[in-house]
Amino acid sequence: MKTLIRQSIRTGITYGIVQIFFILIAFNTMVGIMLAKISGIKNPGEIPAAKFLIAYTILMGLWVGISALSKKKFLPAGHKLLAGFTAGLVSAILVGLLELAMTGILVNKIFIRDFLTVLSFDFIKATLFGLTPVLGIVVTMGAIVLGSLLAVGLNIVTNLNAVQEHWKKDLSFLKNLNDKFQRMIRGKYHLIWQIVGISILAVAVIFIPMKWGSYWNYVFGTVGLYVILGLGLNIIVGLSGQLVLGYIAFFAIGAYTMALLNAPEPHNLMWGFWPALLLGVLLAALSGILLGLPIMRLRGDYLAIVTLGFGEIIRILLKSDVLTDFTGGPRGIQNIQGPMLFGKPFNSEVDFVYLIIAGVLLASFVYNRLQQSRTGRAWLAIREDETVARASGVDTIKYKLLALAIGAAFAGLAGGIYASRNQFTGPDEHALMASINVLSLIIVGGMGNIPGTILGAFTLKGLPEILREFANFRLLAFGALLVFMMLSRPEGLIPSHRPKYDEPNEVSGEMKKKEVPHDQ
Amino acid sequence: MILNVDNISVNYGAINALRDISFTLNEGEIVALIGANGAGKSTSLNTVSGLLRPTTGKVEYLGSDITTVTPQAIVNLGIIQVPEGRKIFAKMSVWENLEMGAYTVKDRKVIQERYEMVYQKFPRLKERRNQPGGTLSGGEQQMLAIARGLMAGPKVLLLDEPSMGLSPILVEQIFDIIQEINKTGTSILLVEQNALMALAIADRGYVLDTGRIVLQGDADDLLHNPTVINAYLGGETTD
Repeated sequence: MKTLIRQSIRTGITYGIVQIFFILIAFNTMVGIMLAKISGIKNPGEIPAAKFLIAYTILMGLWVGISALSKKKFLPAGHKLLAGFTAGLVSAILVGLLELAMTGILVNKIFIRDFLTVLSFDFIKATLFGLTPVLGIVVTMGAIVLGSLLAVGLNIVTNLNAVQEHWKKDLSFLKNLNDKFQRMIRGKYHLIWQIVGISILAVAVIFIPMKWGSYWNYVFGTVGLYVILGLGLNIIVGLSGQLVLGYIAFFAIGAYTMALLNAPEPHNLMWGFWPALLLGVLLAALSGILLGLPIMRLRGDYLAIVTLGFGEIIRILLKSDVLTDFTGGPRGIQNIQGPMLFGKPFNSEVDFVYLIIAGVLLASFVYNRLQQSRTGRAWLAIREDETVARASGVDTIKYKLLALAIGAAFAGLAGGIYASRNQFTGPDEHALMASINVLSLIIVGGMGNIPGTILGAFTLKGLPEILREFANFRLLAFGALLVFMMLSRPEGLIPSHRPKYDEPNEVSGEMKKKEVPHDQ
Repeated sequence: MILNVDNISVNYGAINALRDISFTLNEGEIVALIGANGAGKSTSLNTVSGLLRPTTGKVEYLGSDITTVTPQAIVNLGIIQVPEGRKIFAKMSVWENLEMGAYTVKDRKVIQERYEMVYQKFPRLKERRNQPGGTLSGGEQQMLAIARGLMAGPKVLLLDEPSMGLSPILVEQIFDIIQEINKTGTSILLVEQNALMALAIADRGYVLDTGRIVLQGDADDLLHNPTVINAYLGGETTD
């Protein structure tokens, strides 16, 4: 009981702090505006109506409650109620304290925008729902607690079979519904639901880019390119276990191959998009092997340092004055030609979004197949213990080189598309920071799996773009997010599980069709 | 003679780990390499399995020189090492560990037969085949390490301290299994600190000290040799 309360208080504090950060970056008004747009208001203005902000606050409470009850589905209902309520109350108190401080700013008319950009008086008033400060704070806290109680209710309803007997009886009709629903998803209709899900996703992917304007397509495209990069680096770091830091160099090779072969300056070769893309991928893979050969004996930190050096060498070569005639030097290369498909040129962000989505699908497919193959198991063995892998007869050098080559090829693909889409590439786009970004995104998302990589790319490349309005502030929020992430979920947002350890077949029987091991 | 190690020296940087040592393994034998920490026992095994390269001397297997052959090719030839300290793949399940052991085997049928053979020898592993290797107990992990070695179908099995960190009962079990494996025709090179146990099941033995072989002979003779008794068997043992 005591540990339960202590855990809940800790959850409450953590999520209270997260909520304070959210308010400080004006995430509440942003979500409020989104909610207003969804409910049909065309022009919600900078500050949305109070009801949307209250809805946001309830959602935050719901989040706290869900987090407080995660992995607790076998608790009796009373305990769940206690845990959810405690966590909700604690975070409500924290948020209340923040609003109290904000009220102080408002009442004393302290002008604080120089330090905290978003905290304008209007914003503070909106955060208090336009009510008097005391009432506003009470409503906020009430909404958070309400949300966490909602979470408790949801948790009890969705985990009915885990709840005590007498609860089961009272709520048996709900359990029946729940069972039916579960059967519908999992049972023989499983395939149908999958198809429905995939078609909805496909329709969304096809139609949304047409609708939501070029800025969002640009952001979406960037995220997609980073997904490809993340998957490539995941093959090297996540699957084969080699910590490579200069990864963006392969991206640069793809981008510059595209640029040099398809721009009027400095060479005016004009090969066209597709051959240049293919060559870029091949050159990146080749450079992966060339980089790999001398470093095969290195492991861990030493490998990281050497590859870091490689990345910097590529960037400095591209920037150097000596090679300006060949690479365009510090100014980079402009007017890179876009692709042609079936005789039509790409002329908008939408076309590129489709191209990038195709790239992401291809990369995910290749990644998935590799992971589940014999090669994938060899990589796993190398990652776990290279010496034992060698003693088991795995040709470690071959597989490590293979990982580098394939990972580099992914980066070459992303680089080629990137240069062509932006019609420009320059040496400073390929600085160390970009390598670190890609590495962070797979760490934040969860090492070694596709959904984690996608989520990581959205968090690391998408969020900062969306938060761009808050200029300097976003990096602060972003850094805080990273610190928080590493403390609370060191394995990433979606940790890599290897849930299926089952042997493909009973040992006594003949080996049937399923010889593929169940990685993931 | 299935394995002939001829005058090899191995250096780690400036340190001589092995100085001109020679030993042999005959078909069907168990040969024990015993000695204190740092005597060069594991280094000898790693040199035979190709993980280390000798600076001088050569390793011959069935009459052909394998000194410069890669580790994976040596595995293919049928020399399998079971590394020290139960190095299993902790995140892979038991059967995946075994599958890794048979990595060089292409024929699915052969692999299937070996699974059966291994599961028969180690019923515990069959019970736990879908469990991650890291969740096994120490003794089970050692069994898994040996079983993984058997999956490759070894002609020569190199065992590196199989008794390390195990309780006496488990050590006996493991050594029984080693004898059983030997009876089915696998020659065994056994590295041990537990000299008494090792010499009790071995045909012949070599005593290593700081990179040199100081004594060699029949296991029984070594068991009764006063030097060995004083140095490795705790002095008073008269057995």
